[in-house]
Amino acid sequence: VRGLSKWSVLSLAMLAAVVLALPLVVKSSFAIDIFIRVLLFSFIGVAWNLMGGYAKQLSLGHAAYFGLGAYTSTILQIDFGISPWIGMVAGGVVAMLASLPIGALCFRLRGPYFTIATIATAQVLMLIFLKFRDLAWGAEGTTIPNLGNAPLMMQFDAKAAYYYIALGLLALGLVITYRIERSWLGYYLVAIGEDEDAAEAVGVNAPRIKRNIYLLSAFLTALAGTFYTQYIYFIDPNTAFSFNVSVEAALVSIVGGIGTLWGPVIGTVLLEATSALLQSWLGSSLGGVQLTVYSIILMAVILWRPTGLMGVMTEASQRIIERIARRNVARA
Amino acid sequence: VLETVGQAVVNGLLIGGIYALVSIGVTLIFGVVKIVNFAQGEFVMIGMYISFYLATQFGIDPLVSLLVSMPVLFIIGVLVQHFLIRRVLGLNDMPQIFLTFALSLLLMNSGLMLFTANYRTVHTWYSDEALHIGPIYVPVAKLIAFVLAMVLSGLLWVFLHATDLGKAMRAAAQNRGVAVLMGINPNRVFCVALGIALALAGAAGSLLMPFYPAYPMVGQGFVLMAFVAVVLGTLGNVIGALIASLMMGVAESLGIQFVGADSGLIVVFLMLLLTLAFRPSGLGGGRAR
Repeated sequence: VRGLSKWSVLSLAMLAAVVLALPLVVKSSFAIDIFIRVLLFSFIGVAWNLMGGYAKQLSLGHAAYFGLGAYTSTILQIDFGISPWIGMVAGGVVAMLASLPIGALCFRLRGPYFTIATIATAQVLMLIFLKFRDLAWGAEGTTIPNLGNAPLMMQFDAKAAYYYIALGLLALGLVITYRIERSWLGYYLVAIGEDEDAAEAVGVNAPRIKRNIYLLSAFLTALAGTFYTQYIYFIDPNTAFSFNVSVEAALVSIVGGIGTLWGPVIGTVLLEATSALLQSWLGSSLGGVQLTVYSIILMAVILWRPTGLMGVMTEASQRIIERIARRNVARA
Repeated sequence: VLETVGQAVVNGLLIGGIYALVSIGVTLIFGVVKIVNFAQGEFVMIGMYISFYLATQFGIDPLVSLLVSMPVLFIIGVLVQHFLIRRVLGLNDMPQIFLTFALSLLLMNSGLMLFTANYRTVHTWYSDEALHIGPIYVPVAKLIAFVLAMVLSGLLWVFLHATDLGKAMRAAAQNRGVAVLMGINPNRVFCVALGIALALAGAAGSLLMPFYPAYPMVGQGFVLMAFVAVVLGTLGNVIGALIASLMMGVAESLGIQFVGADSGLIVVFLMLLLTLAFRPSGLGGGRAR
């Protein structure tokens, strides 16, 4: 962990201690459920952010990889009895393979048309899984056979176990992002995001870089898909390839701070907290409330703070530092 | 077989007229303001609910409520341009894409809260009528919708070519910088473009109401269809969008006829991907971006 200041190491250690201890202190299964959602969607956001945030390839089709990950591990488990731990990695590989043709198609397009094409690819995959019943249970989907407490099959009695898996995934995503952010790859990604033509003009191989980051982003998203299916013990095309997954991946990153390490995490905490509050306040009676509120937050961010909450926080902390500095100068 | 094909083609052309109203709106906004409006389908939804409530509360025929839905949506369009889109013009892709996307989410989900997910239909005296032309069966409601859609598209074409404001709009679409130098007020032109585009979406909604159910997510299918048609017809090209929409309607209808009732959407998505892959600049051969 070279290059980190003493303060960031200290605050990271404190954060780690808090999130590790959380399931030991909080016993309410409703609360643990929300924590798991936060960790999971933070992780999906982090995966999206690698490509959507740094390279500004604004995908609204990441549900494609979430679904492929979910289906690969489930098919391997139910039809072949293979552990989802292996299925998870297999799902990631399937997602990577799928990202090659999808990327070849979508990366021909830029801006809004890239976005539209990614929506279409995810929807086509969902329709394929809906329509071809022989492939994987069709529209009804299937439940995952409950084996009781079977850690080797990624099934646990204690909800805390799922919490730690999700935490592990998020930590993996953050470490990868941290490493990339500080490598030549990170700078290339940002250059492509700022101005692709200019980046190519100075020798960045944009098609190759975009393909590679898409492979990585797809792989990570697929891990989330496997985990989610194991967690809810159910899979069908509408949940696995849900457009909401694609939307939320982009939304948490944009609201939190697009193209920043912690942006997706902060965005998820805000959005999931809002959603939990709305749920306890209104009950689950009113459909559409959650996404209505999300879309208002998204609009507010776009119109007033395109850098997201991270932008707001950096500005605020800079202002405080400046004020302290000024006071010190005045005192001297 | 020939009759089935003929019937499918007629059905496709009739619904293609509605697609045309939506696509022309999308292409007009893209051509003039250079924004892809992800929320265009939701304005069709609003048009449908306006007609639905006027019909159920006051017994007004959906075709008459066109006179309400179009002006209301024109005003909404001006407001959307003035208070929302104007603020992201000249910024990078993220705000430009996600602003109208957020608007779409907002309208769909507040629609869900206000109107519930139930399907709403309006039954008019012509809803079940049909003409029999030889072996081919032509539903009157769809025929009326098609004819009025073509009339509105024609009126738009006349407006764009014969009036000063229309010419200013085309000028702004061709070269914004020069248009501004020639004394064209861009925001005014953009407001009118949004107004007209949304009024067309509202018209599509009212025209659909006699034979199509209204529900909060109804716009999704239409906007996807419009995206395909707009790319096929070359971005920003009104006539291209019109012809491509009719083609899309026919393609979808043939798909439903020969592949299966629920395959319409697969056909649309595959056409979208094929178009984007092989003809990203449209059949006319213009530039995609």
